Amino acid sequence: MFGPVVRAVEDEELIRRVAEGDDQALSELYNRYSRPVYATGIRLLGDAHLAEELVQDAFMSIWRAAGSFDPGRASFTTWLYRITRNRAVDLNRRRQVRPFSAGEEPLRNVSGGPEPEGGVDGWDVARALSRIPDEHREVLTLAYFEGLSQREISRRTGVPLGTVKSRTTAALKRLHRSLVNPAAEESRHD
Amino acid sequence: MTEDRFEKLLGLYLLEELSVEEERELEVHLEECSRCRGELARARQTHDLLRELAASGPPPELKDRVLARARGEIPARSRGGWRFWVPAAALLIIAVFGAGFLWMITKDSPEGIPLAATAPTSEGGGELSGEVQEGNLQIELVVWGLPELRKGEYYELWYSKEDGGRISCGTFRARPESQTTVNLTAPASAVSYPEIEVTREPDNGDPGSSGEKVLVGDLRNL
Repeated sequence: MFGPVVRAVEDEELIRRVAEGDDQALSELYNRYSRPVYATGIRLLGDAHLAEELVQDAFMSIWRAAGSFDPGRASFTTWLYRITRNRAVDLNRRRQVRPFSAGEEPLRNVSGGPEPEGGVDGWDVARALSRIPDEHREVLTLAYFEGLSQREISRRTGVPLGTVKSRTTAALKRLHRSLVNPAAEESRHD
Repeated sequence: MTEDRFEKLLGLYLLEELSVEEERELEVHLEECSRCRGELARARQTHDLLRELAASGPPPELKDRVLARARGEIPARSRGGWRFWVPAAALLIIAVFGAGFLWMITKDSPEGIPLAATAPTSEGGGELSGEVQEGNLQIELVVWGLPELRKGEYYELWYSKEDGGRISCGTFRARPESQTTVNLTAPASAVSYPEIEVTREPDNGDPGSSGEKVLVGDLRNL
């Protein structure tokens, strides 16, 4: 499903490239954030087809409006989260114009928005993943999102099997640190 | 096996990638090492979150659809001369098949034409539907979440095309906190204009568009 991990590129740099028409940068942002966008769609709209539509709408909004993103005002994830929430509200209004089809439910928690009830959610994990070193993100992405075994990761990346193995535990540790203390992780990354 | 070596196995233990022998050795070690148990508990939290995120993914083929759609559309900052050709092709279609062609597309859309806010973080939106009756286009427009108007300002609905040509379909006011439905009328020829705009207009007597778009829609995207 996903292409090679884009190396050493921050979200904000990727969105700048998207504004210049770089579809590889859009592809990498999709790799990083399509899951929390989709999960938000499922949580709010309660329907897999609408959640897919939400993913399409959100990433097309990124493509169309990347030039208006201002990193001085909000982080990329905050911006994308707002887009996702607003598009979900739009989709729900459009759904209200027509009768519900089987299996659809009204938007959940629309008045308060899709703010997580507390604790860690997919947005936090996706954001934390984007902050850790590339080699760590790579092993975790391949192991968890593509379901590759350690041996397959070694073959895919050309990294010796022993290194892949030790890197996996180190990557989990690093991600945990990034989740618990994002600010420290960001300053380490700078 | 050293403690450091045991610690390195924790991730593989969670991913069930250890040999039976390694797994047994690690479990024996965990029983007596509280430090490694703590590390395992933290790694397991992260492991579970990743598993959960992995399980919540959209279908794999969706990515290709999104990228294909994006590739067919140049992002705002880098739009160039292509913009001439798309409306030109639309006009050619209209010339060949008649002005009703694009409207037929909208009539077939059960949801009407979606209108998106120009500001990506705006919660505004709209939907437009209608039909041609006796040479006029009867439009029903539903809008919500539009910015609050100042005294004397109003909104105006336009059908437009890339060369700047536009036909006004009428004016209206709307409150930001509620959904507003208005019925407007325009000449039937408006349907040959591929883009739809809602603009915010000042009360200055100028009948032209202010260009301050708050909602946009595109018949070519249907």
